[in-house]
Amino acid sequence: MVKLVGIAGSIGEESYNRMLLQYISKHFKDTVEVELLDINDVPQFNEDEDDGNSEIIQALNRKISGSDGVILATPEHNHTVPAAMKNVIEWLSNKVHPFDGKPVWIVGASYYTQGSSRAQLHLKQILESPGVNAIVMPGNEFLLSNAKSAFDENGDLKDQRTVGFLSMVLKKFLKFMKVIDMMDAPDPKNAHEEDMKSTNKVNTTVEGVDMDDPEWVEKAADKTHAASGGDYVKLDRGLLTVDQLNWFLNSMAGELTYADDNNQFIYYNKNADAAHMLAPRTPDQVGDPLEDVHPARVVEHVKQVIYALRTGQSDVVSMPAQQGPNQHVMHYYRAMRDENRRYRGVNELVIDIMPILKYYLAATGQKLVKDPDATPISPITGLDAVTGASAHSDPTADATSGASAAAAPEEEKPAAPEVDATSGASEETEEVAPTPAPTPEPETDATTGASEG
Amino acid sequence: MKKFVALVGTNTAKSTNRKLLKYMQGRYADEAEIEVVELKGLPIFKKTTEMFVPEQAKTIAEQINAADGVIIGTPEYDHSIPALLSSALAWLSYGIHPLMDKPVMIVGTSYGTLGASRAQAQLRQILDSPELKATVMPSSEFLLGHSLQAFDESGELKSEEEVAKLDGLFQDFLLFTDLSSQLDHSKELHQEEAAEKFSWDNGLTEDNK
Repeated sequence: MVKLVGIAGSIGEESYNRMLLQYISKHFKDTVEVELLDINDVPQFNEDEDDGNSEIIQALNRKISGSDGVILATPEHNHTVPAAMKNVIEWLSNKVHPFDGKPVWIVGASYYTQGSSRAQLHLKQILESPGVNAIVMPGNEFLLSNAKSAFDENGDLKDQRTVGFLSMVLKKFLKFMKVIDMMDAPDPKNAHEEDMKSTNKVNTTVEGVDMDDPEWVEKAADKTHAASGGDYVKLDRGLLTVDQLNWFLNSMAGELTYADDNNQFIYYNKNADAAHMLAPRTPDQVGDPLEDVHPARVVEHVKQVIYALRTGQSDVVSMPAQQGPNQHVMHYYRAMRDENRRYRGVNELVIDIMPILKYYLAATGQKLVKDPDATPISPITGLDAVTGASAHSDPTADATSGASAAAAPEEEKPAAPEVDATSGASEETEEVAPTPAPTPEPETDATTGASEG
Repeated sequence: MKKFVALVGTNTAKSTNRKLLKYMQGRYADEAEIEVVELKGLPIFKKTTEMFVPEQAKTIAEQINAADGVIIGTPEYDHSIPALLSSALAWLSYGIHPLMDKPVMIVGTSYGTLGASRAQAQLRQILDSPELKATVMPSSEFLLGHSLQAFDESGELKSEEEVAKLDGLFQDFLLFTDLSSQLDHSKELHQEEAAEKFSWDNGLTEDNK
């Protein structure tokens, strides 16, 4: 569910703006989760004293950074925003900048007819200043005037027309957040423009830590106050501790790698040393831009894979790597997309499919035979749209992938077992043992190949 | 001789607005007694049922009451005045009204080129609000950009052009102070409204009616 935080602009009094936020939080709880942040104890801003590390500011920073959007409810004091709200914004625009790129919806309640109209204008101006750089929803002002009589004893808005209007504006804000979210997405115009140096920061990028730092994971975790160990993480669908997540991912029947939409290598399921991995990675590489974990000669190929996934031309790109009588390693690159269908990175699975094939043959009592009529497909799938390569093109001439150079010539590839899966053994078929392919160097890891050596 | 209170709109030790106000204090010592008053230490404004006003704010109010006019030096934080100055103005209009009909001159400095122009515009709007109703000198912006480079070691303003501009404005302000003391037809009404019909929330100033 969409997560918002709400801040009421004044402190130390019975606040109709807080009541308004509480009402929004309660009334729309099936649509959005709204957490109210308390600013009562935020000290007076002083740039001389701001090292960016105070507990209370860090807590606000984390909550706002982690939200999908912010609702600010402001009264009007002296034709402007209350000092208390401005004060919080000053803290949050100096050493830390959680509002940067964040969608903000301004509402306001007032005792009389003006409904904080001037304060809302000032607040917009403040939020759009470069240090804050929030993205304020235009139009759709919600000014609740005569606030004293607007709520009933349960804190509910009495006027149904007001509730209807509020609900309509909230819906617009939810849509606005989607649009803003897409604005943040890298948008290369062709594969060559894929930014392999990871300079197009996205809203999940951890700032202030050198991507090439060997201790990027530790430092970035520190910066974000990351959950760890026994901390619970709510997932779709389940609830696990970080330890449980690690056990789960590290026992997957394959090597998993996460490169985000800024082409930054941010995770792999470390269940073996590099020497024992099909596509070796080392712990110090995590955090690196993809360019730094690939040899220069494959970078353009990697770009094509990512571009095909990012743009939705393919959902999966697959290609073979090491091949032999007892091994047929495949790399599967899957596009990850969020609830707005925005590309959020590539999920790479490296897995040896030979044991699966052998199990299948053994369990069904079958063997592989060569199909004389077969028209072999390109060993690489999912890149046709990008490269124009067709199933009949010579994969070795296919410039799309670093993997193809190492892929076995067509006739040496194991033919697809044309067998009836339900009938069991088909004794007539002539056995063709998977032909030993020239063993390729593990240089075939086109997309994420964190380590080539 | 005229007496002015000069409010430093920020609490930072390295404020160039403080420098500017101190410079004015020295330069115009023959024409006016300028008292530079810090806002640092004022708590963030908040309303209470008993309408508590901190001692520091009361002291500043007395200083302003005893002065012929007020000079406010403001930097620009996030395209507006610092929360500290905003708090101060809120305290100075919370049951007490030292700024009401008081002549005010606004100056501002900034590290960049704009010289706090947006903050000054906002400050004018704020000072014009019904609870403050200060008499701000019109058409009188003094925006000092690149303020880190603007002063020499002894705190003198380096640019002759800026000095001439400031001199002119200050002479105008001296005159404006005299002039505005003659604008007394609405003053009684303002004070009356302020006393009887205050305020933002339980108030019935004409703005809210």
